[in-house]
Amino acid sequence: MRRYETIVILRPNSGEEEINKVIETTTKIITDDKGSVIELNKWGMKKLAYLIKKETLGYYAYFDFASTPAAVSEIERKFRIDDVVLKYMTIKLAAAITEEGVTEAIAAVSAREASAAAEIEAAETDDKTEVKTDGKTEVKAEVKTEVKAEVKAEVKAEVKDEVKAEGTAVVSKETTTEAKKEA
Amino acid sequence: MAPRPQKKLFSRRKSCRFCGDKELTINYKDVKTLRNFVSERGKIIPRRIVGTCATHQRQLCEAIKQARQIAFLPYSGSSQG
Repeated sequence: MRRYETIVILRPNSGEEEINKVIETTTKIITDDKGSVIELNKWGMKKLAYLIKKETLGYYAYFDFASTPAAVSEIERKFRIDDVVLKYMTIKLAAAITEEGVTEAIAAVSAREASAAAEIEAAETDDKTEVKTDGKTEVKAEVKTEVKAEVKAEVKAEVKDEVKAEGTAVVSKETTTEAKKEA
Repeated sequence: MAPRPQKKLFSRRKSCRFCGDKELTINYKDVKTLRNFVSERGKIIPRRIVGTCATHQRQLCEAIKQARQIAFLPYSGSSQG
């Protein structure tokens, strides 16, 4: 068994059914040949760096699998026949992979996906809880900080004035203290 | 002809970014990093300009060529066409 990864670019105007059909046939070829799919990922629509068969967009699908060279040649033969496939590329990642290695790789992929999903969920839940519980207090805090900022700005302006007109310094100091009390 | 004194003044030691940052890996699917090593025209920038070491430049070169094959990077011209 060898480990390969394949990227297929499919026609952007092809329907969901056709895309799924291509993916199913490739996975079937892999599993029929006693190989196993490690990762299957639909990257979706992407802009192509150059035109392929007069298309500017492409639907990307990514396979990471363990299989034999015969299966790869069969997959590529099918891709060449299929009109939906714009372009494909297969890369050999490892010359030999054991069954243990396959299970390990699958576990690694699932762990990575789980962690990514957990991160997204955590971010979402954090946002929600913050909005729900601290909604009122947050608003208050914001108002307070705004007021403080305004006061500070005023104070600064007054201080500048002080330097210019020393005579009014006492008055301005009094006003600043008042402003602080208000805050 | 006078000797060129400026050359020494303006030369700065370049270092390989992949040797310096161990977390930065070369992968043909990582288009964002590959973009740094490709000119606006889509050409691979030579080693003497970007300063990558020989080992990493070889890997980079292969990655860029693979990315081109699968339309992540252009063969020539900008990504717009």
